[in-house]
Amino acid sequence: MQESNISPNNFEQCLKCNLCTSVCPMMAANPHYPGPKQAGPDGERYRLKDPAFFDLTLKYCLNCKRCEVACPSGVKVGDIIQASRLKYGHQSNPLRDTILASTDFVGSLASPMAPTVNALLEWKPVKKMMNLFGVDSRRKFPSYSKLKFENWFREQVPSQENFRRFVSYFHGCYVNYNYPELGQDFVKLMNACGYGVRMLEGEKCCGVAMISNGMGRQAAVNGSKNLDAMRKALRDGSEAVLTSSSTCTFTMRDEYEHLLGLKTADIRPHLMLATKFIFDRVESGDIRLVFKEERRGKYVYHTACHMQKLGWTIYSTELLKMIPGMDLTVLPQECCGIAGTFGFKKENYPYSQLIGSKLFDLIKKLNPRAVITDCETCKWQIEMSTGYSVLNPISVLAEALDLEKTSRLNVAVPSR
Amino acid sequence: MRYDIIIIGGGLAGVTAGLQLHKAGKRCLIISEGLSLHKTPKDEYIAAGGAFLPGDSVISGEWDGNALKAVRTRNLEGTRLEADHFILASGKFFSRGLVATMDAVIEPVFGCDVEFDSCRDKWYNDDFYAVQPFERFGVKPTEDGRVFIGGVPAANLWAAGEILAGETDIEQSALKIVSILVK
Repeated sequence: MQESNISPNNFEQCLKCNLCTSVCPMMAANPHYPGPKQAGPDGERYRLKDPAFFDLTLKYCLNCKRCEVACPSGVKVGDIIQASRLKYGHQSNPLRDTILASTDFVGSLASPMAPTVNALLEWKPVKKMMNLFGVDSRRKFPSYSKLKFENWFREQVPSQENFRRFVSYFHGCYVNYNYPELGQDFVKLMNACGYGVRMLEGEKCCGVAMISNGMGRQAAVNGSKNLDAMRKALRDGSEAVLTSSSTCTFTMRDEYEHLLGLKTADIRPHLMLATKFIFDRVESGDIRLVFKEERRGKYVYHTACHMQKLGWTIYSTELLKMIPGMDLTVLPQECCGIAGTFGFKKENYPYSQLIGSKLFDLIKKLNPRAVITDCETCKWQIEMSTGYSVLNPISVLAEALDLEKTSRLNVAVPSR
Repeated sequence: MRYDIIIIGGGLAGVTAGLQLHKAGKRCLIISEGLSLHKTPKDEYIAAGGAFLPGDSVISGEWDGNALKAVRTRNLEGTRLEADHFILASGKFFSRGLVATMDAVIEPVFGCDVEFDSCRDKWYNDDFYAVQPFERFGVKPTEDGRVFIGGVPAANLWAAGEILAGETDIEQSALKIVSILVK
């Protein structure tokens, strides 16, 4: 009977044990938030009867999914909350929320004028104006890059087609508009591993910010375009679609289906973080890595919440531990508090910083050479709040590899 | 991925065993259904360099005769997790280390032999506040702590903590296996 009585996100399985409540970072910081059990499976019963039971404080959910990782009964607590926000919620500040969530649109506007935009974003009068507009003036914006990753890559296409094996790269908005260096490191690394890199045709923002800002319909449009582009890439011979952001990966692998109702079963096994792809192939002997011998010093690895939900921290950390001389400490998993666009909003900023404070103190205490994480928004938050620089594992690996020797071992340039 | 010891379950038994084995120089991996309530020993284990998979579960095992060679988990998809020894510390019903069907109590991952009353009426005591017989169900191991599967003792799959039948001292049952494995 129970088996045929399972609703979406299986909320009937909730035993009311409150383990989710005990690990919710927002619960500890904000007494107005009812907590994952109340907001999720408990509230869902009422909302099914009457949508008027929708509680506006659900906007405080960070969508960190720690509740789902903790749940011993497999209830998708976070998905229940997100789904109800998409269904019944509305934006608290529609213009601001829409602009924050439209990363592609804003990025394409900002990128050509990057130096001016970056200077303006630091300028006090502009910060004051943003504050009025609902974006906290204390929040440091990631700077925009003049050179878009897509434009840089266009020049690389001919050399990339010289390989025998291919992967497609979902670079995401951050690499494209803000930090093309990470994408360049990715291409370097994959080339050394013997793979040519291809772009997806017409890649869109994964939509994570749209999902958390009540723009489900737009997110679904982006999602189906991305999935179609991935299908085509796999048909055209790419072995996998690789990413360098844990949040984009998690959104496309899980939330597309759970929250947007898109069919991902055919794509999911081929869509993963580059660190997983490389690790599995190093293990099977298909990829061999040669590192430069040098002293490196102390690093700490921060597990982003969505990385923990994916369960893939181990791939990144095991790869990093292969680097000789690497002294890597894995930090206990704590939410950094930014949760994407959440921490930019004026009303959330204090919660965001309070939630992250434990992590910031720990990093300062350990005083590493740099922090390593797979998530870009954690990077902004940790850099802003601790002053330590934060690196993606892809960049650390690309830097530590002896690219030439590695390329030779993996036969990067085939005989023509 | 290769480890000396893989521990299935991140509760008190699993984390106790993991921390002690790690301190003794063994390369350990703990696979935990949830985030583990035992935050202090867990954080100490992770900070010391122990590997921990939160929110993941073992979906299958790969056997060579009565020796467990490797396991696979839901989140790590294609990755084989190999080890010399495995400790089953997945708890009782709440953490799904044991699962009750209509007429049997089973250990769902490896199908270990479970001790339970074959008469379902005897699973419960009508007195709600009395000790419930089902609380004592569990895996009955060999003298040194290895599980039985189909009446045959496994070579390298050990059981610790709440999953054991009868009354269990969780920490002691874990430390007993630690003392054998560090020899």
